[in-house]
Amino acid sequence: MSLQTRKLAIDVLILLVTVILAVIFFFPIFFNIMSAFKSNAEIMRDAVALPTSLYLESFKYLLTETNYPQAIANSLILTALSIVFQVLFIPMAGYAIQRRNARWTKFVFLYFLAGMMIPFQAYMIPLFKELKMLGLYGSLAGPIMIYVAGSVGFGSLLYSSFVKGIPAEIEEAAEIDGCSKVRIFWNIVFPLLGPVTASMVVLNGLGIWNDFLLPMLVLPSGEPKTMVVEIYRYIGEFSSRWDMIFAGTTMSVVPVLIAFIFLQKYFVKGIAAGATKG
Amino acid sequence: MAVSAANSDNAYTAAKKKKKWQSYALFFILPSFILYTLFVIVPTIGSVYYSFTSWDGISADVRFIGLANFVEIWNSPRVHNALQNTLILTISLVVLENLFAILLAMLVDKVRWLSNLFRSIFYFPTLLSGIVMGFVWAMMLNYNFGVVNQLLAKIGLGAFTVDWLGDPRFAMLAILLSTVWKGAGYYMIIYLAGLQGIPQELNEAASIDGANGWQQFRHITFPLLAGSVTVCMVLSMISALKIFDQIAVMTDGGPGFETETLTYLIYKVGFGELRQGFGTALAMVLFFIILIITVFQVKILQKREVEM
Repeated sequence: MSLQTRKLAIDVLILLVTVILAVIFFFPIFFNIMSAFKSNAEIMRDAVALPTSLYLESFKYLLTETNYPQAIANSLILTALSIVFQVLFIPMAGYAIQRRNARWTKFVFLYFLAGMMIPFQAYMIPLFKELKMLGLYGSLAGPIMIYVAGSVGFGSLLYSSFVKGIPAEIEEAAEIDGCSKVRIFWNIVFPLLGPVTASMVVLNGLGIWNDFLLPMLVLPSGEPKTMVVEIYRYIGEFSSRWDMIFAGTTMSVVPVLIAFIFLQKYFVKGIAAGATKG
Repeated sequence: MAVSAANSDNAYTAAKKKKKWQSYALFFILPSFILYTLFVIVPTIGSVYYSFTSWDGISADVRFIGLANFVEIWNSPRVHNALQNTLILTISLVVLENLFAILLAMLVDKVRWLSNLFRSIFYFPTLLSGIVMGFVWAMMLNYNFGVVNQLLAKIGLGAFTVDWLGDPRFAMLAILLSTVWKGAGYYMIIYLAGLQGIPQELNEAASIDGANGWQQFRHITFPLLAGSVTVCMVLSMISALKIFDQIAVMTDGGPGFETETLTYLIYKVGFGELRQGFGTALAMVLFFIILIITVFQVKILQKREVEM
């Protein structure tokens, strides 16, 4: 066997192993989407079989007979508004911490970083009571503020280290030309932070879209909460209506799949940035 | 023009800039500072306080009971069981997720065709909700109608079908499998970045010197990946300690208390059994475990990196 055919054989072997693993990895997602288009009887008869026809009854039922549309709206509002406020507040703070560089900003920075070590479970119980005291229990404003607060630690770390890499000369020139700090930040610095912002938006947005514990705890019971929480509730309530639950999970997974296909590089970049800082 | 003006009047602009910054920096930081203090720090301090009380979470009756909650944690068999489950799950996850992630990263790095597609497929599960995919896994592992048992029966291994989620011997394994599936891709991305940073010449030189594939991995690739290993082990250990969604949807801590971890116990005690004082005391224990592990692990692994 020549060296070239041996190398090709190795390449094919590697490809084969990778394909097998890829099939195993993709199967649960495929299974989820496929099952949403099967009737309950079909799912029970043969879980592996492909759907025989395009069965859309579960989607129809979910969207007309249940509270799921309200839950979809809540998920969208919660994710979108939390992200808007994160982008509004956190880059600004990271920028000021880096550029001001005084003793008090260093202290604030350490104070923010400490938050990265506090797990949500460590403070979730008093949070519930605090929201009631502040009159925020029952509205989406509570969880939005909590999401913004929870991302201050990592966000200010990420932004301050990126601002460090931007030369200050442009800002100084703009300042001499009479530009205010607010305008310098939003018109000059913020556009340069685009890649960080994109990564933060996709990764945090995803985290909020998928979050279970916080909306489950702080949104009022008896009303639809978010998609993930409703799915959890349906699993308990309609334990035999698998078709319907699969339709619900598919509606939660497909937007993520679409976002991933179009914004792939930001998902991957965000991780690399997080890892080197972590 | 602006630059020359800056040079001629440097001291003046510096003083002006400093003054400007003092007010603006405060204004820039304040929103984050207020929210973070109000919704992270205040409730954390609240947790410390409530951990010394017998608060039920509803009534105004918050009685101070000293260290009684911590004494109960020390003596409670249920807490010991939860700590043991947490330990087993965490160690298994750190080992399996990282082994899998290194394997996947090496495959994606070496494969000649479609490597971007494979990377996306391995990575995608990390982007999904633990509740959603936990449900899908629970359906796949269902005793009667699940894919896994149906496949086993189809290939003539019907004798090996088990009640994955109902049998105390397999429930933890089921949680473990679904979590490795969901987590490995994340660490793969970090290892992949590490692998792609290793100069190709090193492996070429070693192979000319007659080193085989394993030797190259052991003496070149692995030592140079040490930095990524440090990061991934810390990250996977902390995320393993916080696993919640999969347990909530797949086993609810059962059968019995077989899969009840510390994180799940905090939730059950605090919101299911309305013993929020005791729940916050448990939360303090989790907090300190995470704190100690972070500090300890980073120190040890940094030392090893230098030695290797």
